[in-house]
Amino acid sequence: MKLWIYILRRLLLFIPTLVGLTFIVFFLSHVSGNNIILSEYINPHLTGAARAVLVQQLTNEFHLNQPIYIQFFYWLYQILQGNWGITNTPIFSGSVNTAIALFLPNTIMLSVVAAILIWVIGVPLGVFSAVHRDSAADHALRIGSFTLYSMPPYLIGLVFIILLGVWFKILPIAGVVDPTVVSSLSWYINGISYPTHILLIDALLHGSWNVAADSFLHLILPSVTLALATVAGIIRILRSSMLEVLDQDYIRLARSKGLPEKMVNNLHARRNALLPMLTTFGLTVAGLLGGVVVIETIFSYPGIGYWTTQALLVSDVGGIMAATLLFGLILMVTNLIVDLLYAFVDPRIRY
Amino acid sequence: MFDAKLKSRRWANTRLSLDVFLSNKAAVIGLAIVMVYVVDAVIVQVAPQLLGISNPNALVPNFAYPVPLPPSWAHPFGTTYPGVDLLSAVIAAIRIDLIYSVFVVAIGAAVGAVIGVISATVGGLTDEIIMRITDIFFSIPFLILALAVGFILGRSLLIMSIALAVVWWPIYARYARSQTLSTKEATYVEAARAVGVNRFKIMFKHILPNALPPIFIQISLDLGSIMIIFSTLAFIGFVANANVPELGYLTSLGLNYIQIAPWTIIVPGVVITLFALAVNLVGDGLRDVIDPRRRS
Repeated sequence: MKLWIYILRRLLLFIPTLVGLTFIVFFLSHVSGNNIILSEYINPHLTGAARAVLVQQLTNEFHLNQPIYIQFFYWLYQILQGNWGITNTPIFSGSVNTAIALFLPNTIMLSVVAAILIWVIGVPLGVFSAVHRDSAADHALRIGSFTLYSMPPYLIGLVFIILLGVWFKILPIAGVVDPTVVSSLSWYINGISYPTHILLIDALLHGSWNVAADSFLHLILPSVTLALATVAGIIRILRSSMLEVLDQDYIRLARSKGLPEKMVNNLHARRNALLPMLTTFGLTVAGLLGGVVVIETIFSYPGIGYWTTQALLVSDVGGIMAATLLFGLILMVTNLIVDLLYAFVDPRIRY
Repeated sequence: MFDAKLKSRRWANTRLSLDVFLSNKAAVIGLAIVMVYVVDAVIVQVAPQLLGISNPNALVPNFAYPVPLPPSWAHPFGTTYPGVDLLSAVIAAIRIDLIYSVFVVAIGAAVGAVIGVISATVGGLTDEIIMRITDIFFSIPFLILALAVGFILGRSLLIMSIALAVVWWPIYARYARSQTLSTKEATYVEAARAVGVNRFKIMFKHILPNALPPIFIQISLDLGSIMIIFSTLAFIGFVANANVPELGYLTSLGLNYIQIAPWTIIVPGVVITLFALAVNLVGDGLRDVIDPRRRS
């Protein structure tokens, strides 16, 4: 099969997956009847005739008296229009669209920093561990990554909080910035920074170096925790794939023709060992997204994950459903990109 | 005579498997630790009073001293908010975490294995549809999907484990499918088909048993992950104000006292990490057992 046919097929398969994902979300939010939707829009203190009028109005608006599959298409139409409903949580109440615009940039910032850290920490350690197989350092690395792999992500975060935040008091443990630093800034109003909503970038744009430094300090613990929660798996996979590659004939050939060990490892072996990493990239993103929920919550970091747990705690259906859909979309797009990249990177693969 | 020969060969096979497993010291240590946890869970289940626990399903608060106390002779692991003795709470919690994690993996594996085997044996459009459905499940991060499922069905430990099983079966479905696809072409299956054995009999009597051992190993590898996810969900407030001895929930109790009482975090944290570590070590050892490269 030609490459472009494969790409086309993947893109077409994207549609049923998307419909399936949205249907799961829709089904979950409607399976227990209309009350869960009505309660999102109606003030609980409202009773009697006023409530009945509002219920009628909402029933018409959301087509609640129609069969559920008809409702699904109305709902899907609204979602595609970009109208994702409303959310009501302690950290934000209003339309889901605004919530996403406020929280998503922070989450992206956190994930990108964590992803860079994972790459910077994981790849060299994985390669080192395989090259120096069965040495003391390799054993130490394996024990370390195995232990890290067995730790719940929240525990990694809490250990950091206890060590660096409480005992040594060198790093801040909650939020994105010290409120006293940002008390009188024109571009920071009600805890929202403008224009990108990412405080670190906004501070750099406005040239407020002390704010930027402070928000950078606040970013260290969450991103390191997020990276460590994911990196152990990466090190383990990379080590075994590197070991496999080092056993290949062409590596032996490279060695026997007298190529320096460093060149063999870095040029010949590492490039091929990294290939399986691409397939696990989707899993890594899934891990990151799951980790984001937990780690943002621990560090009170105002991102999508923190918003999700807040929505869970106050039973906010709008927030939970929007988050499920959003996380699903991110992961679907990532998987699609990984599959397409895979076809480009490995010339042996033809579909 | 043929039977005896076959038997002795099987025995040699088992011996080899045991040797491979036992030669991995880490796996043996892991197994010992897992056994301690299992014994603890069994004792709490059968005779909790032996360990000084009156009700294994509820924490015992002491509102006279709600603030966490450091480890002492009376409370070897200290106490957590509100005055809960951590040692007995952890002992009771191991049982709950173990039971529910095994429940999740067992349900997920059973459902997934059956679906995967059916998908691969029937093939064609059914296979395509089932695999697209698993794709959909894979495209939602399991933690989020579990949150959403549990959110709708109500938040309790049982619902939490059902929600996790809902997100966990697709992994086994894929796994069982790929196993089946490779055994499907084996000569003995072809022979069975040639003598006219019924399709479902082939499916469940000839293919499934051979797809099972790798699935069991996958289970042992997943058990640690499930326990971690289970406690994580409990930690972020899935079972709010539940008053149940559960390791993640126990950790969240001490959260407000993290500055003065780190043991409220460390004790349940170490207990769960040790278990996940031990299970992962055993799983790694078991994986070596079926790895033909290690058996030679």
